[in-house]
Amino acid sequence: MPFYLKERIEDIKARHIVRRYYGKKLPRAEKIAMTWMAIMAFWLIVSGTLSWQNLAVGGSISLIISSFMYENLTDDLRYEGSFIKKVLTLAFIQIPQYAFIMIFQLLESNFRVAKHALFLGINPGIVRLETDLRSATGTTLLANSITLTPGTLTLDVAKKLDKTYLYVHWIDVKTLNMKKAGDEIKGDVERWLGKIFW
Amino acid sequence: MIEYALLAMGTSIMVFGALGILRFPDVYTRLHASTKCDTGGALSILIATALIIPAPPMIKVKILVLTFLIVMINPMISHAIARGAHRSGVEPKVVVDMYARDNP
Amino acid sequence: MAGEDFLVNPLGWAVLVLLGTSFVLVYRVLAGPTLPDRIVGLNTITTKVVVVIALLAGLLKEYFLLDLAIVLLMVNAVGGLILAKHFERRGLHD
Repeated sequence: MPFYLKERIEDIKARHIVRRYYGKKLPRAEKIAMTWMAIMAFWLIVSGTLSWQNLAVGGSISLIISSFMYENLTDDLRYEGSFIKKVLTLAFIQIPQYAFIMIFQLLESNFRVAKHALFLGINPGIVRLETDLRSATGTTLLANSITLTPGTLTLDVAKKLDKTYLYVHWIDVKTLNMKKAGDEIKGDVERWLGKIFW
Repeated sequence: MIEYALLAMGTSIMVFGALGILRFPDVYTRLHASTKCDTGGALSILIATALIIPAPPMIKVKILVLTFLIVMINPMISHAIARGAHRSGVEPKVVVDMYARDNP
Repeated sequence: MAGEDFLVNPLGWAVLVLLGTSFVLVYRVLAGPTLPDRIVGLNTITTKVVVVIALLAGLLKEYFLLDLAIVLLMVNAVGGLILAKHFERRGLHD
């Protein structure tokens, strides 16, 4: 197969993936229920009591809020399965996995910043990466994770022709190749985020 | 015992972060020190506090929510400051700058 | 709480170390070469103050201080974003 046809076929495949994910949005009731759960959990923790007046007032007010703010929090979640299974896997498997990955990265990055602060052997540069995530929430979480992993800090996000590019300030530049730098910087986090967001 | 080790580690991380902010040469490397050391230090100190204090469990959960908010909010402010600094013309001391090449 | 109790508890020592660190960081706020440097220093000091408030809430057993810490953290976030937007639009004339 000639090389220009190969590029074109890959482009068409990427567009097909985007269209398929647009069709897999969650139904509206499930979005409202998920937002209600998040707001209600925050209210219960901040208010700090479990009396029935507290539960009634918090439940009704968070239902009102979530009935017209449901798109902001859960618009980018796309995956299949029943509703209970979705919430349970999100709360008990995937978020602890993410926390487990990120805590060790954060520890390593603290030690590395301490080393750089003591000995000052730095070689900074701003490089460009490409990512497979396309939604706003997924990109934001990936940028936050990149900022907390060792030696990197996200500067900006650019979207061109349904591809997402990240500009990263790297404190110790090793390579300028986009693929190699992406493997070095993103690591496991992008694969984990790709399971939930698109 | 592990909570006191966490407390000591968090305070020493905070001290090294302050040292980094004082010694690094430009805004972006200072942001590295600020964001990472603040987030990691606050995380370990607050988890240690939640383990040490004799309090009802609702209070401990509230401390953990404070930790979660710090971890989510701190990198966001650092993106905003870094992007604003680069766009308003603070020159980074770097060996390669692809952002300035792509957005002239 | 008396002073000697404050220094027996390890949490009190942590409060003292954090206050000393933020006092050192005032140098970066006062003498930063550009405006973003000062804002970085201010954000760092505010995060340390949030941690200090949470530690004091545990130390003095006044648990309403945790709500103040959450509110201060959110105000810090909004203030940082507004300052960053400001010098992105208007430039660095401070």
